[in-house]
Amino acid sequence: MIKVENLSKSFGGLRVLSGVDLEIQKGECVAIIGPSGAGKSVLLYCLNALEKPDSGRVTLNGVDITDKRTDINKVREKVGMVYQNFHLFSHLTVLENIILAPVKVRKLPRAEAISRACGLLETVSLLDKKDSYPDQLSGGQKQRIAIVRALAMDPEILLFDEPTSALDPSMVGEVLAVIRALAKQGFTMVIVTHEMNFAREVADRVLFMEEQGVYESGSPEKILVNPEREKTIAFIRKLKTFNYKVDSYNFDLIGMCARLELFCAKYAIEKKQVNGANLALEEVITYILKYCYEKPRQPDINVTVEYGDADKKIAVEIAHDGKSVDPFGKVSASAGGAVDPDYLGIFMVKKMSAEIVFSHADGLSRFKIKI
Amino acid sequence: MAHSAGIVRLMQIFTQLSESIHANLIAGDSYLYILSGLKVTLLITLAGLFLGTLLGAVLCAMHYSGSKAVRFAARTYIVVMRGTPILLLLMLLFYVVFARTRLDAIHIAIIAFGLNSAAHIAEIMKAALASVDPGQVMAARTLGFTRLGAFYHITLPQAGAYARPVYQNAVINVIQWTSVVGYITIADLTRVINATGARTADPFFVIFLGIVIYLFLAYATHLLFTLAGRKTRTAG
Repeated sequence: MIKVENLSKSFGGLRVLSGVDLEIQKGECVAIIGPSGAGKSVLLYCLNALEKPDSGRVTLNGVDITDKRTDINKVREKVGMVYQNFHLFSHLTVLENIILAPVKVRKLPRAEAISRACGLLETVSLLDKKDSYPDQLSGGQKQRIAIVRALAMDPEILLFDEPTSALDPSMVGEVLAVIRALAKQGFTMVIVTHEMNFAREVADRVLFMEEQGVYESGSPEKILVNPEREKTIAFIRKLKTFNYKVDSYNFDLIGMCARLELFCAKYAIEKKQVNGANLALEEVITYILKYCYEKPRQPDINVTVEYGDADKKIAVEIAHDGKSVDPFGKVSASAGGAVDPDYLGIFMVKKMSAEIVFSHADGLSRFKIKI
Repeated sequence: MAHSAGIVRLMQIFTQLSESIHANLIAGDSYLYILSGLKVTLLITLAGLFLGTLLGAVLCAMHYSGSKAVRFAARTYIVVMRGTPILLLLMLLFYVVFARTRLDAIHIAIIAFGLNSAAHIAEIMKAALASVDPGQVMAARTLGFTRLGAFYHITLPQAGAYARPVYQNAVINVIQWTSVVGYITIADLTRVINATGARTADPFFVIFLGIVIYLFLAYATHLLFTLAGRKTRTAG
């Protein structure tokens, strides 16, 4: 259905894709993952000639879309595209957004286009928004409308360019549900995404892009759980950890906590555990800044947070190169009311952690806390 | 006593007013003279704007040209025209450029206002086009619209909504600036008002009337644009 042969593309002097080969069967759902700048979106844009490749061929249903003689507008009618930033037509209502192309491009009678649009809107439960304007909708609603707008052209192929990246975390679910339903209906789909759990669930095949091309590909299990090649392994591992570096006495505590919460939200970690991790980070880092470093020396504290699928515990690791002090040794869990106010936070962390290990080696002190 | 003095004063004002109306508007069908001036003002405004809008669109298109020389020409034209007082442009065309032709002064004024407003209108169009989200145009292209189709259905209505209030200001500016065409012998509204006031030696009434007419033109423009804009929404 989709065939990419020896595709290369550069921007200025920067080579983004080089000699990419790819074949996608009818009804297949392919997820593309990879670090930013790996050419995921560029590859997607080449599939409907939004980007012109420097060399190579892209064939859709046997039609070479890189050929100048091909009527690209005709081809695009059959290839639906959903963007990260929705790109709904802001001067038109939801209904007008959906019927514009069917009526003006496919020359469908208006009444028929409207009834079809209403049917589609019902499947994404947004029929009552048909007379709203895009700026009156939430991000999740906008993206569902954008999907309906693509579906209204009866596409044979659907391309998704990071469909949930611009959404508030609370709205990701509603959009993924719609895409999941489309995958079940057997649409041929290519999805560029950062939602690994989603990719694992809906994709028939996952492509990991790196080094200007498809670096590793295979079943979701193979790529997302047991990757074989070095960069894939590193990428997947990095996704599962949260890293933060504290290099100033006035570091952005609130920003760090917000990013940690975002990380935890991806794994649906319990609220209590998240609060525990937040507390541990805040108290231990505050302690280290106060007792292990002295101005003018700049602190260098590295935080790594990992979530164990097996034991359902958050593993927090805090490493620093300051003076080696173990505050946890100084408070005892049985001390009861007689806690030094300076150590109250440390005491609380100790109370709610499952395990705390302190070690010191090569000038680096490490706290390993399990919550 | 003070009460009746007030009434007497009021009576005097009414008598003066009716005398003013008679002298400035009715005697010798003077109102027809003022109307003819209004007609000239409207003609120069509308024809000048028509010419200016066409030329402005051309300048705006030149701005998007692939050729550096064409873009430079458009930019230079806009800078020069926006910096040139319209009265000097009028005089240049009337006394120098078209001095030896038989071209009517009104036509010269139309050309001058066309040339001048084109620069402003081109800038308005450029800003309006730049305000349209290119992502929406791309989305239209992926739905199968041709380049022209996407421009017509997406870019144009959105740019139009954005440009409308600014264009309205440009129209009102042209209306008011046409009041200088008297300098090149044209009997426009301002000039006939001036002539009438001089003839009747009662300038206050007729100048005030002139201001009211210009005010009415500005208000009517505003009303027209509001009506035209009621159906379409601005981009948001």
